[in-house]
Amino acid sequence: MMLCTNMVRLLGFVELRNFESIRVMDVGDEVQKVFCWTGQIGNLVLPILWHILHFVISTWYCAQYIAHVIESYFISSGLMKRYKSLNLDRLYLAVVVDSEEVHQTSKVIELLHWLSAIGVKNVCLYDAEGKGALVKLRVLKKSKEAILERLDVAKLSEGTIKNDPLLDQKHINLEFASYSDGKEAVAKSANLLFVKYYLGRDQKVPIFIESHITEALKTVGSGGPDPDLLLVYGPARCHLGFPAWRIRYTEIVHMGPLKSMKYGSLVKAMQKFTIVRQNYGK
Amino acid sequence: MLSLTYFPLSPPLTTTPTPTLSPPPPLLLRLHHRTVSRLLCSTAQNVAIDDVVGGRVEEDDVVRLPAGMRREAMPEHVAVIMDGNRRWARTRGLPAVAGYEAGLRALKGMVQLCCRWGIRVLTVFAFSSDNWLRPKVRFLTVRIRLSVNFVEVGFLMRLLERGMKGEVNNFMRDNIRFSCIGDPSKLPDPVKELITYAEERTKHNSGLQLIVAVSYSGKYDIVQACQSIALKVKDGVIEPEDINEFLIEQELQTNCAEIPNPDLLIRTSGELRVSNFLLWQLAYTELYFTRSHWPDFGETEFLMALRSFQQRQRRYGEGDS
Repeated sequence: MMLCTNMVRLLGFVELRNFESIRVMDVGDEVQKVFCWTGQIGNLVLPILWHILHFVISTWYCAQYIAHVIESYFISSGLMKRYKSLNLDRLYLAVVVDSEEVHQTSKVIELLHWLSAIGVKNVCLYDAEGKGALVKLRVLKKSKEAILERLDVAKLSEGTIKNDPLLDQKHINLEFASYSDGKEAVAKSANLLFVKYYLGRDQKVPIFIESHITEALKTVGSGGPDPDLLLVYGPARCHLGFPAWRIRYTEIVHMGPLKSMKYGSLVKAMQKFTIVRQNYGK
Repeated sequence: MLSLTYFPLSPPLTTTPTPTLSPPPPLLLRLHHRTVSRLLCSTAQNVAIDDVVGGRVEEDDVVRLPAGMRREAMPEHVAVIMDGNRRWARTRGLPAVAGYEAGLRALKGMVQLCCRWGIRVLTVFAFSSDNWLRPKVRFLTVRIRLSVNFVEVGFLMRLLERGMKGEVNNFMRDNIRFSCIGDPSKLPDPVKELITYAEERTKHNSGLQLIVAVSYSGKYDIVQACQSIALKVKDGVIEPEDINEFLIEQELQTNCAEIPNPDLLIRTSGELRVSNFLLWQLAYTELYFTRSHWPDFGETEFLMALRSFQQRQRRYGEGDS
């Protein structure tokens, strides 16, 4: 009798345990199913949402591009008043052209024509040949003659621009700069300053300052005014080694590839520059 | 144009029941707190800036990159012109000091993000030598309507001193090497001492190198490099004919870093100039100008800058051939 009772209790206990474990398994399966369904729904819905978002953003960018083209057209046609009269007589403009695009002489000439038409008087053209191409020919300098021949309003400026009031207003002063006018010129200046201030003197304390380097750069033929505005034509958004000494507070604007340059974008960049206020760190 | 790519948030789930309970797929966790902008810019591998500010950067987190970021295309050296603190404060009707305080917080966040994403060098323009010319300013606080005169430069110096004091232990904890460039002669003595102390204490750290430019200008850096070379020539260490651009490069103050030239320059606050910062070193640096004021420059903005950097074609003036 006792044995039977114990057996019944034991069976009851085993059954209860089985029941509990089945319950636990059921709950586990249910949770697992919920996770699976949620995951499935998520994996279906999220890509759709993503594509919708992608479409919205692409449309937005497309609309922006169209607006940009239309604006450029209106600016070019002179319909927008604020772009009509830009006072750029005193602007010293630098144009950096990427080494891959500088061979497009006709484009460079067209750009200079546009600048002249806008009213820019002083331009420094910089070719983008970098330090890896020191042994190569200075492409832009080589094309200098071609540019000057074809640009009847151009006038070569050696180093600095003279603000001569008698200068023919139709002319545009051109300065050609290359990589050698940057870091190489600073090295030459350092040598010059060493000879001037240290050689044969018992000088222990450094005595030359910024203005001495500016003078030394002029002496080695790489001086010149600091450009107010620097336009970069090319795929890269950097100034490609433009003489560092001269771009302390220069505004830098990336204009995109030369082949797709637009007159409207150029005028807009100029107009934006005219409203910039600088405090030169003060 | 921004290009977007869809990155699946979780591996495909199957309907086949599994014998044991597995942890819920990460999808669920992510859906709870990711916003659409985060979805665009990051995944669960990201850590929000709030999560990392003041928090320790774990070793195993260093290699984690946000979705879509290519390790091989990450910049090794990032330089930042932290502009717009005063304008940020002005737009909120706050005194300029509040802008600088917020700027310091943004910098801390930036440092942590650089640590996390494996950027090797971060150079920040804290104080230009031209800033010494800033006049005494007078401001009127909105709340207490009290007019106070103070020297802004003095406040910046105090902020620098305070920031340095508080951060040296964090630098040690996060394996950050601290360096300072600029003309130290004009700095107050306590600041100079703190800089020397921080540089000495962290010099063996091998993680991110944080270079802070204080009383610095690009022209000053070139001048001191030329002076240093001239003295070396005079002492017979180098020959005059050996003076070239590479020698000058070695004497620049950024040469304290293994990678002295920045790959990416970020300037906040919408200005399009380098303002006398790292003039020599920026020859082939990708320039990224953003309209955000520096205190607003957080994880999302930094990711946008990095994405823009990775989409650009860099040739270092070499040409395609």
